[in-house]
Amino acid sequence: MNKYFQIFKISFQEEFTYKINFVMWRVRNVFQIIVTYYLWDTIFSAPGREVFGYDRAKIMTYIFTLIIVRSIVLSARAVDVSSDVAEGNLSNYLIRPMSYFKYWFTRDIASKVLNLFFAAGEFAILFVILKPPFFFQTNIYVFLSFLMAIVLAILIYFSLLFIISAVPFWAPELGWGSQFLVIIVMLEFLSGAVFPIDILPGVYQKIVMSLPFPYMIFFPVQVYLGKITGMSLIQGFVISIAWAVALYLAMRYVWSRGLKEYQAFGR
Amino acid sequence: MKKLKYYSKIWWLLTRNSFSIVLGQRVALLFFLTGKVLRFSLFIGFLYFLIQGTNGLAGYSGNQAIFFFLVFNLVDVLSQFFFREVYRFRPKIISGDFDLTLVKPTNALFVSLLGGADAIDFFTIPPLIIATWYAGSLFHPSILSTLYFVLLIVNGFLIAAAFHIAVLAMGIITLEIDHTIMIYRDLTSFGRFPVDIYKQPVQGLLTYLIPVGIMITFPAKALMGLVSGGGILISMFIGVLALFLSFRFWNYALKKYASASS
Amino acid sequence: MDRAIIVDHLVKNFEVIQKEPGLTGAVKSLFSPTKKQVHALRGVSFSIQTGELVGFIGPNGAGKTTTLKTLSGLLYPTSGFVSVMEYDPWERKPEFLKQIALVMGQKNQLWWDLPAIETFELNRAIYELNTREYEDNLKELVELLEIGKLINIPVRKLSLGQRMRMELTAALLHKPKVLFLDEPTIGLDLVAQQKMRDFIYEYNRKYQATIILTSHNMDDLVDLARRVIVVDEGKILFDGALEELVEKFAKEKIIKATLAKSDGIVDLEKIGKVRKLAFPEVVISVPRNAIAVAAAELLQNFAVDDLTIEEIPIEDVIRKVFKGGIFGK
Repeated sequence: MNKYFQIFKISFQEEFTYKINFVMWRVRNVFQIIVTYYLWDTIFSAPGREVFGYDRAKIMTYIFTLIIVRSIVLSARAVDVSSDVAEGNLSNYLIRPMSYFKYWFTRDIASKVLNLFFAAGEFAILFVILKPPFFFQTNIYVFLSFLMAIVLAILIYFSLLFIISAVPFWAPELGWGSQFLVIIVMLEFLSGAVFPIDILPGVYQKIVMSLPFPYMIFFPVQVYLGKITGMSLIQGFVISIAWAVALYLAMRYVWSRGLKEYQAFGR
Repeated sequence: MKKLKYYSKIWWLLTRNSFSIVLGQRVALLFFLTGKVLRFSLFIGFLYFLIQGTNGLAGYSGNQAIFFFLVFNLVDVLSQFFFREVYRFRPKIISGDFDLTLVKPTNALFVSLLGGADAIDFFTIPPLIIATWYAGSLFHPSILSTLYFVLLIVNGFLIAAAFHIAVLAMGIITLEIDHTIMIYRDLTSFGRFPVDIYKQPVQGLLTYLIPVGIMITFPAKALMGLVSGGGILISMFIGVLALFLSFRFWNYALKKYASASS
Repeated sequence: MDRAIIVDHLVKNFEVIQKEPGLTGAVKSLFSPTKKQVHALRGVSFSIQTGELVGFIGPNGAGKTTTLKTLSGLLYPTSGFVSVMEYDPWERKPEFLKQIALVMGQKNQLWWDLPAIETFELNRAIYELNTREYEDNLKELVELLEIGKLINIPVRKLSLGQRMRMELTAALLHKPKVLFLDEPTIGLDLVAQQKMRDFIYEYNRKYQATIILTSHNMDDLVDLARRVIVVDEGKILFDGALEELVEKFAKEKIIKATLAKSDGIVDLEKIGKVRKLAFPEVVISVPRNAIAVAAAELLQNFAVDDLTIEEIPIEDVIRKVFKGGIFGK
């Protein structure tokens, strides 16, 4: 356990060493929030307007909750795994007496803690400047459900990232391409980071909600806002847990196959 | 004239090389193309759907909003096509291979900025131009508006060039490219929607200081006949100024490189 | 004879930001970075004739690479005068750059995923070589470096030694008159090193090219450089023929003797420092000024069959130079 604590500490320090990387990454997050904020602000500029079942207050709360949820779920160092595999740096880790998954998970957690810390600051600043209507959840049970949804989101994202990162085992040149396709394009649109999924018409909404993507952003946010309750909350958790388990098993399988491939070619 | 011939030849060779690398990895090319097309279609779908529900965006019709988005893509894709080398600059700085670029009799900025166009965007540019042309023709623009549009697109491209040069210069000083270029991309992505949707002071900043408005919103507006001759002049002035400042910054960075690295 | 390179009182300072260890250090450097001046070159002067091949030696961080970079126009001198073929390198005029080449071991100009021939074609355009020049030069380099079969294979599939020869070809296609080689044999195996050396020797001889070479490889210097410049802490400590380096800096000489009897062998310590003792052979090092006395003593007190006095091997001297400990620090 101690070694993972050390990894945690080192990761934390590393983020400071590459301070420009870190600052830039946070600045990007703020930009994305600003674009989304103004887009929706324009759409809801007419007083009392209601679109897709949202009014101004609700959509603003959605966007501001995004800041926090994004920084917890989507901050991950494990995006570097793909290039580790492609370039053969993986060997450096395989010879060490520790679990590669736990290593990266620890680093992810360190990154999330740090990002959460900064996201809270940004949240406060943007909140003061933009003065959006915001809903603070006080119901302890809802809050606990939210925490559980976040944990599931983290696990889903971690497994998904590792599955994608395994692509270079078979095709080193496809590493970045597959990350772009799945993590950047699909995740961005289908997770609810740009717009809430429930503005989509019924059929599309059902399709998207059966994918793992909305359970990383949209679902936790909705749980926090208290918009998903009762049966649909349980249904949501069932799907979320199913994805977390399925992706975890898939990741294990893909990696055990991939490592055999890796060792066979001695890269 | 001789210089122009010299540099076109080098550009052609660099581009040929980078094309043959990308075309050598067909599946990766396919992945990127799929990703780009998917992102584009998802966004158009979202925009279309959004405007259907709200009857327009900041006083613009659905067609107009989509045209703004197309112009954003055009400027974005054109600059990605030509300035792809910027994304590959960091390893050269870190490893010191940039030294070997500097000792060559070719301008180092030229090679670092334009060295190797992007084969992926070579495929996305033609359909995008056709789509923009079609969407633009729906406004029945006058010849003058069309001329303004083309002029301002070129101007927008020059501003994009200025941004990329600044990113390179920052890269020399801070050894950091990836995030700076992504910040640039994020900033320009403010232009996916007409800058009118942003409230002051953000709108003012976006129009004049970080001239996303001039890069993207203005050309589109010009085609719709919404920009005056004076507006065109100011835009061109800012375009030239941006380019000038970026050159200064690049020279400053080179000097810094020469006195700070070892 | 004309002087290809003139360097006079060259000074180069760098400013570096110091990193402090630990998290608190990291946070601190985020807000108030500590800057420090590094004096890479402290008034260096030398000149090199056309066609000379000069070796630069010194410990790591002595200022060798800084000098090469300044000479090729990559670094701007803090003060002092530099002229290479009557150009100011810093201006980086195309006419100047067309006459020089800089080769740094482990730095790449080749396109990794493409055959080296593509990089050569590109350099042909960059250096504006006409078809005739290009083909002649390429043919010559290909023969000299024995790379005929390799130029059509993607660079990433080549071994380090093969790749280094390609790098050299790419750098020399325009037949530079001045050549700066920074650790050209680093990381190469023995055979590849030898090939590289043979080539450098040939190139220097054939084209009367002026070459400055830095290396940590003893053989590079002994085989190639007749003249060496020793740099340490940004200053020139020695500039002259390789043999003189030994005379000047080896404070000791060596007595090699063959003994007839092993009597009183422990007393050898009284004559000098015993470096090797494998009866009947014995090697003793003695301070330069005491060598005659020591030899006489040896002959007097021991049964000596044979005796020679030698200089310390040049390798030992250079090795000390690399460690930076030769000059009585």
